[in-house]
Amino acid sequence: MAAGLHRPTGQLDVTTALVPYAGPWNERAASHLMRRAGFGATPGELHRMLTRSMQQTVDDLIHFPPADASPPGELVDLQTLLAQGPLRGLDADTRRQRLMGFRMEERRSILALQHWWLNRMLVTPAPLQEKMTFLLHGHFTTAAIQKNVTPALIYQQNQLYRDNALGNLRDLTLVVSKDPAMLLYLDNARSSKAHPNENYARELMELFTLGRGNYSEEDVRQSARAFTGWTINRATQQFVQNPRLHDDGVKTFLGRTGNFDGSDIVTVIYQQPACSAFWATTLLNWFVYNDPEPQLVDAVAHLLEKNDYQLAPVLSVLLRSNVFFSERAYRALVKSPAEFVVGTYKAFGMPEIDPSAVRAMAQMGQVLFYPPNVAGWPGGAAWLTSQMMIARQNFVAGLVNSAAMQQSPWLSALPRSAGQAAGVLLQTILQGDVPQQSFAQLASYLDGSAESALGTLSPENFELRVRGGAYLAMAMPAYQLN
Amino acid sequence: MKRGPFLLGALSGLTVVANADHVFARALADTPLPGLPGADNRVLLLINLQGGNDGLNCVVPHGDPTYYQVRQNIAVAPSDVLHIDARVGLNPRMTAFKKLYDKNMVAIVQGVGYPAPDHSHFRSTEIWQTAVPDRYEHTGWLGRYLDGANLPADNLFNAIALAQVLPEVLVAQKTDVPSVAALAGYGLVSDRNAAARRTYSELVADNRFPFQSPYLAHVAEIEDHAQRGSEELPKLIAGYTSDAAYPATPLGRSLALAAQIVGSRSGTRVLYIQHGSFDTHVSQRGTQDRLLGEFSDAIAAFYGDLAAHGNDTRVLTMTFSEFGRRIASNASGGTDHGEASPLFLIGGGVKGGLYGTTPDLGGVQTNMGNLKYTTDFRSVYATVIERWLGRPSAPVLFGNYPQIGGLIS
Repeated sequence: MAAGLHRPTGQLDVTTALVPYAGPWNERAASHLMRRAGFGATPGELHRMLTRSMQQTVDDLIHFPPADASPPGELVDLQTLLAQGPLRGLDADTRRQRLMGFRMEERRSILALQHWWLNRMLVTPAPLQEKMTFLLHGHFTTAAIQKNVTPALIYQQNQLYRDNALGNLRDLTLVVSKDPAMLLYLDNARSSKAHPNENYARELMELFTLGRGNYSEEDVRQSARAFTGWTINRATQQFVQNPRLHDDGVKTFLGRTGNFDGSDIVTVIYQQPACSAFWATTLLNWFVYNDPEPQLVDAVAHLLEKNDYQLAPVLSVLLRSNVFFSERAYRALVKSPAEFVVGTYKAFGMPEIDPSAVRAMAQMGQVLFYPPNVAGWPGGAAWLTSQMMIARQNFVAGLVNSAAMQQSPWLSALPRSAGQAAGVLLQTILQGDVPQQSFAQLASYLDGSAESALGTLSPENFELRVRGGAYLAMAMPAYQLN
Repeated sequence: MKRGPFLLGALSGLTVVANADHVFARALADTPLPGLPGADNRVLLLINLQGGNDGLNCVVPHGDPTYYQVRQNIAVAPSDVLHIDARVGLNPRMTAFKKLYDKNMVAIVQGVGYPAPDHSHFRSTEIWQTAVPDRYEHTGWLGRYLDGANLPADNLFNAIALAQVLPEVLVAQKTDVPSVAALAGYGLVSDRNAAARRTYSELVADNRFPFQSPYLAHVAEIEDHAQRGSEELPKLIAGYTSDAAYPATPLGRSLALAAQIVGSRSGTRVLYIQHGSFDTHVSQRGTQDRLLGEFSDAIAAFYGDLAAHGNDTRVLTMTFSEFGRRIASNASGGTDHGEASPLFLIGGGVKGGLYGTTPDLGGVQTNMGNLKYTTDFRSVYATVIERWLGRPSAPVLFGNYPQIGGLIS
């Protein structure tokens, strides 16, 4: 099967697609909502949602209270290095040692940030805000440490996505264009009238707002000129507009002519029909299903334009829509490693993610703050390689065999009857999305009767079998799907 | 689908495949295909010099005065170049590679590219990997080769990407290529004991799921490959010993594993490795020289290892990169995205030497500061497909491209 993004089979009814869903509100529907609009839900969270309606649950997701997101302790920034005194005058060995020490500090900082973010995904009272932050991180990509993007700057950028998670996309694009980490990562910080650097201008259109085919090479050159002089102050590490580096001549961009600067470029981009279609596709791919039909893209693009690119009202429609709750959308996405890892802790109802999860995620192909390139993580079938699948299963094996499993409130309280225990496992972990005979097969594993000839299980080690049963449930195909 | 019999055979260890298709496939695998060159045990190793390798500081045109005029901040001094002839030579860090060249084991094809070049990393990488410049294509050129090559259908390891992510070049319609970044990570942890394995095989043998998903069949197939592959690969490549000294670099480690796979019973015909990043917009000399040095040392160790096991003539290695870089350097001691660049073919079947047209930097072969291509990369692919892999190239490349005469014997 080819890699890439795949559309579900069946027919879209575009006339009812965005109408509010009126079907059953049950564990299956609520789990689906929380896998998409968040990183899953604990059994307790699901229980609370089912005491409310679908409409109220979506309202809660959209209108969340402001939450503290202070960073995990002190993060390394350039001041950390400068505070150690001037590099000038040091011999080469000392200088190298100091720089190496700084790099080590940076890596420690990033590890702490990665672990912090995973836990935030797990416990935040505002799951949709965190899910959008994660989308924006992979969309407006920036990688830490390369090109002097310090941990402090990558945290600042991450917080910017969180602050604008359900805000206005045009405003967000403008603040991203001034974000220090972005200015460094895509080289605009070093772009000048004499030597315009096209890197940011190109990716802004190709990957962030319009997509290929909706602008010319000349538009890239002209907008690069408009962004010249948008750089950072070396001392404060914050955005400045440097008039001496800015090209204030007339530019012609996407058919408009004027003495444009970066904010004019963003304004013109958001007047293009291709922009709303681009964002509609992005949101549908993230929340609903991959490779959405052009009619569905049009409908959501229209919604974006009607709401002047405000995300909150658009997501409010999308997350309670028929198409979102349709059978075609159900389990129609592949879990990313972050969704897999955080969702697993959610499923067990465990309160804290172990730092080792960061390394496990690297083996699954996803390192937070290090997207593979400026296009972000490709998603879809790209997550499905045997190497990554092995890493997923080994992560679960490590987790179910760890002492932390005692923190799962429901696993140790499973019924002693193998049949009932199998039912709870498959319902809680997979919402029963398994072939009918899986229940009996798992029950047989749990009571050990299937293994009498091999003698590896005895009736005494119930806990071991329960953990093995959880591992098996999480190795089922449905568990890879969101 | 083919998952049922595999699971029975691999997992229980008892039912050693009472499946006629399977037995037939095994027998077929042992039978050489008549009349085709390359139907034996030849291997193609593709190395992606990812990020856009600057051709002009790799194969240096030290005889061209324009090179020294437009690259004052990063030019390789004539005395440092490893001279091939009066016009070109290799980057000074490629001494080990130069020795292979001097043994006629390396072909350098100069000025390789394609019409209307794209300067985006992603699109140009896609173009080199799909071999389709003018439209979006989902399968890779080696994926299409694998689909049509009549390789044993039950062998999971006809091709292996020694990478974490499956590269587009190995995406096929009918063939699922495993990606194995490192052997250490390619195994299910031991607590997946016989009981769990058996229950797992029961659980996944049923595909009557109460939901549909465009990814469901693919997930099931990959889960099968994960289980079967992680059990089979270590066994297949066990027993290989080598005293070759590989450099302690990611490329060195990947090539050591590649030599082991080539020397094993895995039946692997295609391998893929990535090396980089060559995206040297700033301070190019440090980065690119280091990466080329790593490439040179690792390749030399690899062919030494292969030769010690009698496998050196079985393995053809080909490099590619999504584009070369701008002819003139920039103010940051780097180079921006460009167009044509040289590629290397090494080892099995290769007739060493320089191929294609040496670029003339001051002349007419330029396009807005970029090097125009003089050889279409699909001509190189066609030569490799026909002469090395022994398959017709037109179905793989969606057309006929002239082969490069003498390149592969």
